[in-house]
Amino acid sequence: MELRGLPAAPGVAIGPAWRYRHAAGRGIPLPDVRAAADRASEELLALADRVRAIGRHDEAAIFDAQAMMAVDPMLLDEAAARVAAIGPADPDALAAAVEAVARAAAERLASLPDEILAARAADVRDVGSRIARIVAGREIALPDRPSIAIADDLPPSVTAELPPGSLLGVALEGGSPVSHAAILARGLGIPAVVAIHGLVAALDAAEAAAEAAGEDGPPQPLLLGLDGEAGTLSVSPSRDALARLEARREQRRHAGAAARELRGRPGMTADGQAVPLLANIGRPEDAPRALDAGAEGVGLFRTEFLFIGRSDAPSEDEQVAAYAAALRAFGGRPVVIRLADIGGDKALPYLHLPPEDNPFLGVRGLRLCYEDRGLIRTQVRAIARAGAEADAVPHLMAPMVSTHEDVVMLREIVADALASLDAEGVARAARLVVGIMVEVPSAALCAAELATDVDFFSIGSNDLTQYVLAMDRTNARLAAVADALHPAVLRAIRATVDGADGRGIPVAVCGELAGDPLGAAVLVGLGVDELSMDAGALDEVRMLLSRVTTAELRDLAATALRARTAAEVRAAASALLARPAGVPAD
Amino acid sequence: MGEMSTAIEVDVRNPSGLHARPAAVFVKAASGFRADVRVANVTTGSAEVSAKSILGVLGLGVSAGHRISLRVEGDDEDDAARTLADLVAGGLGEAPAAVPGDDA
Repeated sequence: MELRGLPAAPGVAIGPAWRYRHAAGRGIPLPDVRAAADRASEELLALADRVRAIGRHDEAAIFDAQAMMAVDPMLLDEAAARVAAIGPADPDALAAAVEAVARAAAERLASLPDEILAARAADVRDVGSRIARIVAGREIALPDRPSIAIADDLPPSVTAELPPGSLLGVALEGGSPVSHAAILARGLGIPAVVAIHGLVAALDAAEAAAEAAGEDGPPQPLLLGLDGEAGTLSVSPSRDALARLEARREQRRHAGAAARELRGRPGMTADGQAVPLLANIGRPEDAPRALDAGAEGVGLFRTEFLFIGRSDAPSEDEQVAAYAAALRAFGGRPVVIRLADIGGDKALPYLHLPPEDNPFLGVRGLRLCYEDRGLIRTQVRAIARAGAEADAVPHLMAPMVSTHEDVVMLREIVADALASLDAEGVARAARLVVGIMVEVPSAALCAAELATDVDFFSIGSNDLTQYVLAMDRTNARLAAVADALHPAVLRAIRATVDGADGRGIPVAVCGELAGDPLGAAVLVGLGVDELSMDAGALDEVRMLLSRVTTAELRDLAATALRARTAAEVRAAASALLARPAGVPAD
Repeated sequence: MGEMSTAIEVDVRNPSGLHARPAAVFVKAASGFRADVRVANVTTGSAEVSAKSILGVLGLGVSAGHRISLRVEGDDEDDAARTLADLVAGGLGEAPAAVPGDDA
């Protein structure tokens, strides 16, 4: 039986199923709720440190908040009141009481009109379960051998906590490729498939059938095969299917070792065409991880971290420090600093943006300058000053550019910012390399006209997909069909490349597609010059490029452009990349 | 001691209100004082909760633009009221470096 979901983290796993549930046996109960809460809090702080070390600041923030929730005085007071009548002799009743208190607190949050707060309810329930487990001496039934986790959803705290090596893969009925479980799986380097409809029921049925069939001995866990690129889960695969999965896994294992050996070498196809591979970063502190992974520079430095979550705009000096830190970290290698991509969905009090019905189609990105150029002008000044401070040539790029007038305005803002620095006698980079994001269909269709006034294009494949397919990328119900490898998106990318070619400016891609091996192959075939991705994807993309020739990639792109569906594109790309590494087919 | 309490109202201006990280910053700061600190959402007319409870503070549903009240009672109440009001008025320093203990 093969189940299908959404690819969420690449890789192939073969192993027994592990169901996320309580263990049958139990350890030593800790019938002191206060002490159990302290222990839960310590565990969560340790998890925060662990994920922070792999660069996952968002998840670290969740665990920090959960650590605080675990020792919340209100929670503990309510729990104390409830457990007063229960003696320490009945840890299960104590645990149930603690869990009930946490559930009630979670319900209160879930009932709030604010969606962000309501989403925290799951975090509170997860904390309650953790304290309850400690009180009762129960544990998550940890896999007794390396396994593939099967669950409706996996709380981030559980995903991060499983001992390294015990988790071969993750298959979820819920979730989305951008859920925390999926992001963590990618960070930990294990394959994941999410949004597998009917997964839990199918596994329940398969387990029941297996139990009924084999009467002797304890029930054996089901054997599973997970393919994080195809987005498939094989339950009790046939001998043939198993052999195919094993071959792919083996091939990936060799590829992984070989890929690490390629670190430090620039991205290049088998026939020697250079394809610079860069990293996306969200703050200067991400630089070491990107450099370790062999990034040849930064193709996307998101600057929103400077602007969100504060009551006034960041000062020019504060921005100079952040940009100069990133430029220095990459010493001379290109760093593309993206101007703040802010809109009505992120209401910043100091911008006074009115709420909008369609913030993704509203005043966002460079469009902020239609009404007031001040914020972006200051940012451009800061980038130019940082260039002088770090002795580098900064690249800047503007998001959400849709018309030629936008490009003219960008040029005016840059010229104005530089002139103002000169008038004040402030040191600045002699030159700025000025590019634009291509993420709106109009920009792709008019690429030739826009190319005359900019130094480079960088395609934001996530937004381009959203706008070409008219599918909200945050809508989980559309996640399965909003595929960046849809031929319509690829044709928009081709139009961008064609437009850039006339002016000889380079085209980069800095969306998720660039770090998806299948996507990277198609993009280079389409004529994209540079790829920028999460640092964790660099090894694999570097490796795959080294094994294919430009001619093969061009043929693949031609097939992809003629395809009717994203699935046809994926099939064609998989066929090319599945070729055994380094050896001709026998 | 009830009549000795210090009360103050302050507008919440940071974009995400008292959610997640800003709420944690606020609760951590409140927990650093000996005084009892009670907080309520004036805009929604909520009941008072302990400012030392992350769940209580999250449960107030304070969004950007809401006004909150602080009522502080105890030894260091003046200092606590002033510090917390300044912290909220200053946007609860979401820049990670400004979050105590968040950089470990």
